Amino acid sequence: MFPLSAFLISIGAVSAISGFLALLMVIADATIANYGEVKLTINDDHEYTVRGGKPLLGTLMEQEVFIPSACGGRGSCGLCKVVVEEGAGQYLPTELPWISEEEREKSVRLSCQLKVKQDMRIRIPEELFNVKEYDTTVKRIRDLTHDIKEVTLTLNEPNTIDMVAGQFVQFQVPEYELTDEPVYRAYSMSSPPSSTGEIELEIRLVPNGICTTYVHKYLKEGDQVTINGPYGDFFLRDTDREVVCIAGGSGMAPIKSILLDMLDKGINRRVRYFFGARTKKDLFLIDEMRELEKKLPDFQFIPALSEPEPEDEWDGEVGLITDVLDRHMESGDNVEGYLCGSPGMIDACVNVLTKNGVPDELIYFDKFG
Amino acid sequence: MKQTQQMKRAQANMAPGVLTLEGFLGRDQRHLLDIIIEDEAVVQRLDVSHETIARRMQFLRDGGEKGLGEFVTVEPGILVRVDSVRGKLPCPFEDQGLFEKTTTTVRNERINKDISYSDLHIHLIREHGFYEGKGFAFRLEPKELVEILEVPRLES
Repeated sequence: MFPLSAFLISIGAVSAISGFLALLMVIADATIANYGEVKLTINDDHEYTVRGGKPLLGTLMEQEVFIPSACGGRGSCGLCKVVVEEGAGQYLPTELPWISEEEREKSVRLSCQLKVKQDMRIRIPEELFNVKEYDTTVKRIRDLTHDIKEVTLTLNEPNTIDMVAGQFVQFQVPEYELTDEPVYRAYSMSSPPSSTGEIELEIRLVPNGICTTYVHKYLKEGDQVTINGPYGDFFLRDTDREVVCIAGGSGMAPIKSILLDMLDKGINRRVRYFFGARTKKDLFLIDEMRELEKKLPDFQFIPALSEPEPEDEWDGEVGLITDVLDRHMESGDNVEGYLCGSPGMIDACVNVLTKNGVPDELIYFDKFG
Repeated sequence: MKQTQQMKRAQANMAPGVLTLEGFLGRDQRHLLDIIIEDEAVVQRLDVSHETIARRMQFLRDGGEKGLGEFVTVEPGILVRVDSVRGKLPCPFEDQGLFEKTTTTVRNERINKDISYSDLHIHLIREHGFYEGKGFAFRLEPKELVEILEVPRLES
């Protein structure tokens, strides 16, 4: 029979060996895997001395340089791409699904997967230096439709934001029943840049959407919310061309921001805004848009219903927004297009605009996809 | 039946945080092969196939896209909305390409039921007969798909 003392000695020996190995791993991590301080150079003229060994995305965040990422650095959204000119090494298997052949030629890397192990030179859009993280408080939540909420956030620290009308922020969703850790989702701001102390977002409920479910089911006035931003290059170009805006659903947000900014700045260009919905209950901010028609000298709001119900008693435009747009477009000469919505909606509207003579390069869009 | 190496790799890819934050299996700890075999049996009992289900999902998704982000009537009593959010998803079976984060919501007004699915779901069902782990929030039950989407039965 196996004696008890031998059994206990065996357990003790195994425990001692395990403890020793664990200690070795800790020492190895602190010494062998210690990359020390390395130099991180961004866009040739921003230099940071950082501690090596961590993913580039997190390292940049510690230096308050924020790269857009929807998954919080888990490598599951493919958004946090940067160009790495030096110091990157081979592509990692976890990066490859997200990087196209063309991007490989340009040394585009996924910053959440790539670790900083030596001096590194990277290139990012210059405007990302303006991105900050903000502590905010939910000031107001308003139902715009049965599935779209307007969320107003008061900025606490920092207490002002320097944005361009049409840009978006990333909203941090804390842990709750649909996520075990914080995740980020991007939403366009519907408030104008003049509203420096607070921002408005319009958030439509997406079935099973982690952030939209959180906002619609759990978020309440007075809650603390962390955001970062602003991001994006969807903004009104400084020309005198006629502006044609097209949106549907929560695509209203950046267009509203642009219109309010035009009002603030006294920009008097001709603007036509085509807004698509299915029935009257899917329309929102109609009164606000009619008010803007009175305040902006040459602004026309054109809502269209694709399938109005008899009880809607709708006497406005009927049809898909592409058909309505096509009916209204006389000539694409001297016209710029600003579109916000799903990739399908954007592609369809771009086709209508180009068919009517608006050059591709004068069509700007914020594609959700 | 034993899992192939490809199945083992796919199952590893389906863990939370590998390809997507929540993974593909939820608390379902069975072998991937067992999950697929069980769903295959359910699909056969329903007199449909993975291909006919996926074809119907794709048909409604394509019809719904014409609504440009809003619900649109694709067939009498069948409303469809196609939403997109930023980002893309890879296939856990390591097939080529990325799938846009597009959600198709089908509302069957005749029975007053909704169901939502992604482009990746269509691919997983068509190519791999995979409906995600039992009890997982993103799983699609074949029976519900057949009922709500009105998937045509196979001719015997």
